[in-house]
Amino acid sequence: MAERRKYKKRYCKYCEAKVDFMDYKDVGALRFSLSERYKIMPRRLTGNCKRHQDMISTVIKRARAAALVPYTVTRKTVVTAPFENLR
Amino acid sequence: MRHYENLVIVKPTLTAEEIQASIKAIEEIITSNGGEIAATDAMGMRKLAYPLNKNERGYFHVIYYSVAPSAINEIERRFRINEDLLRFVTIKYDTNREVTAWNQLVQKAHKKASAPAGEAKVEEVIIPAGIDEDEDAE
Repeated sequence: MAERRKYKKRYCKYCEAKVDFMDYKDVGALRFSLSERYKIMPRRLTGNCKRHQDMISTVIKRARAAALVPYTVTRKTVVTAPFENLR
Repeated sequence: MRHYENLVIVKPTLTAEEIQASIKAIEEIITSNGGEIAATDAMGMRKLAYPLNKNERGYFHVIYYSVAPSAINEIERRFRINEDLLRFVTIKYDTNREVTAWNQLVQKAHKKASAPAGEAKVEEVIIPAGIDEDEDAE
């Protein structure tokens, strides 16, 4: 229930901020569209529009390739303080 | 000429001078292939999100440059041979919107380079507002 509450208002936050371009090095800004396990959040939960979801997914994949964001967080490779080194 | 950006991660086991030398060699690779470096941005030593070749940390360096598209193959081939690099990421800035973003990034990098006091203020994470944590819990 709490999770549904979290994403109740469905509107694209990126449209509201008029984001035209996302930088994969700006990792703090990617946090909104990442789950606790660093998965890409689906559109139905974040409310992103299609255009911005496409942008964010390519940007997150770039950041993963650049070792700025982990691919997966499992029990074995758990991050003690997630988002600590995301500046 | 097309606009590109390269992020390179240099091995953390090298000394500071060796890192600077290898970055210079990387920039040399780009310029020798006809590239024009617009700006560079040293992100410095930081923790990697996952280990690369058993390294937990890496020295990040970003280079913005413009070069003919045919030269990218050669540049990347040379990067692959280089053993000081843990990883490199090449990004193409092609459309009009991306090119203006590239110009902004270059200006930002210039500003950062001219004011090197930026090391002190690090923890200013910009997160889109929202995500209220369970406010319905009583």
